[in-house]
Amino acid sequence: MSESTSFSLGALEVTGLIDLVAQLRDVLESPSTADPALARLTPNAYPDDAEAAREFRRLTEGDITARRLKDAEVMASSLAAIAPGGDPDPSLELPLQLDAAQVGSWMRTLAAMRLVIATRLGIDADTAYDAKDPAYGIYEWLAYRLESLIEATDLDS
Amino acid sequence: MGMMALATPDLDQETRLSPAAVTPWQTVVWDDPVNLMSYVVRVFRDYFGYTKEHATRLMLSVHNDGQAVVAEGAREQMELHAASMHDYGLWATVRPAEG
Repeated sequence: MSESTSFSLGALEVTGLIDLVAQLRDVLESPSTADPALARLTPNAYPDDAEAAREFRRLTEGDITARRLKDAEVMASSLAAIAPGGDPDPSLELPLQLDAAQVGSWMRTLAAMRLVIATRLGIDADTAYDAKDPAYGIYEWLAYRLESLIEATDLDS
Repeated sequence: MGMMALATPDLDQETRLSPAAVTPWQTVVWDDPVNLMSYVVRVFRDYFGYTKEHATRLMLSVHNDGQAVVAEGAREQMELHAASMHDYGLWATVRPAEG
């Protein structure tokens, strides 16, 4: 079984992802604790016990955020290595190889990006959201990219 | 030595004496409108080492019932699992096991 996965991204996808990873890092490094996106990224493990919830958050929030930043850095590095310079031809396909650890970082970072966008769009079980918002298109495209990565690294294939 | 290992009387005694000290806790994963079903299955396989079938069943429980118990055991361990689920972007909580 191969330890690395090969696939390719369009040039515009690469520049798009580089930008999104940078935006995610800004959110993660933001000093504002009131950001609902951050709240979704470090959800409440004890919704019925405020004391335990505080303690859990105190003990884990910093670590979870640090690991997320590390994952984002892994993804940013692999993208930087293939980033097209200047004004890329949109039809340019850029090949990429990821090892198992990098695949994990990519998946978690893509998932985190989708969570942040979903929070910004107001996507949750009970409220309607604007599917015409351009951010929604990015949200769907990230789903496609995450799905593709999962399929490309399917343990049974 | 061999006979004692087979009888394991100490283990039985310890279990009878301290069931309260080992109150099981649970890590529960909750449904959310963002995460892909395929992603949730992959998380359960990668992190817990569950088979594709087991992970898929758990994911479907989360999806259909709104929640599923993904692990049970000592509280500290369940908190570790919950934090790891959060690493992956899932929403997990910790609670005492019922009964």
